[in-house]
Amino acid sequence: MKESKRMFIHYISGLIILITGFIHLIANNLPSIGTIVHESIFYPVNLIILLSALLYHMLNGVRVILIEVIPGKCAAKAITWIMFLVGIALYIYGLQVFLNLFWPVE
Amino acid sequence: MSTDKEIEVKFRIFRFNPKTDFAPRWQEYNVKVDKSTTVLDALLKIKEEQDPTLTIRYSCRQAVCGSCGMMINDKQMLACFTRVLELNSNIIKVAPLKNYRIVKDLVTDFSELFQKERQVKPYIIRHDFEELLNPTGTYKQTEEELLGYIQFADCIECGMCNSACPVSATDPLYLGPMILNRAYRFISDPRDLGFEQRIEAIDSEHGCWRCHFAASCSTVCPKGVDPAKAIQLLRRQLVKKAVLGISSPKKVELIPMAHVKGKLELPKGWQ
Repeated sequence: MKESKRMFIHYISGLIILITGFIHLIANNLPSIGTIVHESIFYPVNLIILLSALLYHMLNGVRVILIEVIPGKCAAKAITWIMFLVGIALYIYGLQVFLNLFWPVE
Repeated sequence: MSTDKEIEVKFRIFRFNPKTDFAPRWQEYNVKVDKSTTVLDALLKIKEEQDPTLTIRYSCRQAVCGSCGMMINDKQMLACFTRVLELNSNIIKVAPLKNYRIVKDLVTDFSELFQKERQVKPYIIRHDFEELLNPTGTYKQTEEELLGYIQFADCIECGMCNSACPVSATDPLYLGPMILNRAYRFISDPRDLGFEQRIEAIDSEHGCWRCHFAASCSTVCPKGVDPAKAIQLLRRQLVKKAVLGISSPKKVELIPMAHVKGKLELPKGWQ
């Protein structure tokens, strides 16, 4: 993937974090709206989207910092792959937590 | 502080010869200056009258060549364009530009910078070779098209923007504001068709996306080029063309001119 695509997704994920994070805050702090949101499918879906955007935004940010301080083309590739694998692992873990929380297997 | 009389100013100058010195040192010189004396004049006076071993680089003396960029009182400035008394300081600290290898004293090595510049092909790229070899006219440009890039074409390649850039300080592979500005200058030129050929360099891990937008490059530019703006516009072009696939083909009208005649020979290896 080209750097422009990675950074474009980075900015989009930042916007998604703002929106989904705002919805999450409202759902947890305003009882009048919160109860409606909590009981609907919208709440876990919002959380899963927030998790995906947060993980991408955070790990891409770390990747950018590491690429800047550890120069070298091989290093850049290695950093990108490490961040990708860490991201996949964290996403699977986070998804499993949400599945257990919202759709527990009896 | 402006006066017609000569007053004595102390110069603290960075001295270092990597071939013989273990570490850099600061050397002080007292120089009499008047209101018209530039830092370059004072340095040349020191060299002529006090210390011929002091090494400086300069050429045009009128802020056109960009050779005499240096750190003057910790800021990137052109020595020929900076009057000593306008600095409002009795001690003038002069050091080589940051973020470059030191050749000797105040002279820095730009070879790595120019090597990197080649990656962005800083020249107009066209595919109509027949017209380039046997020109019959001139390419038409509107005033708006010219205004789109003329500010960025004023760069004199003094390298001071790279010296002020915080990213260039930490990432030696980062292209830097000077080179990215050069890339945008040609990409935004309506006559140029080389966007695809430059994309590999500018859209890499050490290309335009690494800019933190500190804008210190634009602050120190002696020609008012604004490389920080060029980098942001470059990013916009990349998102439009490389991510969203929105591209409007450039069409430049050729105005036939009777007096434009003659066959041009291609340089060796240029095909």
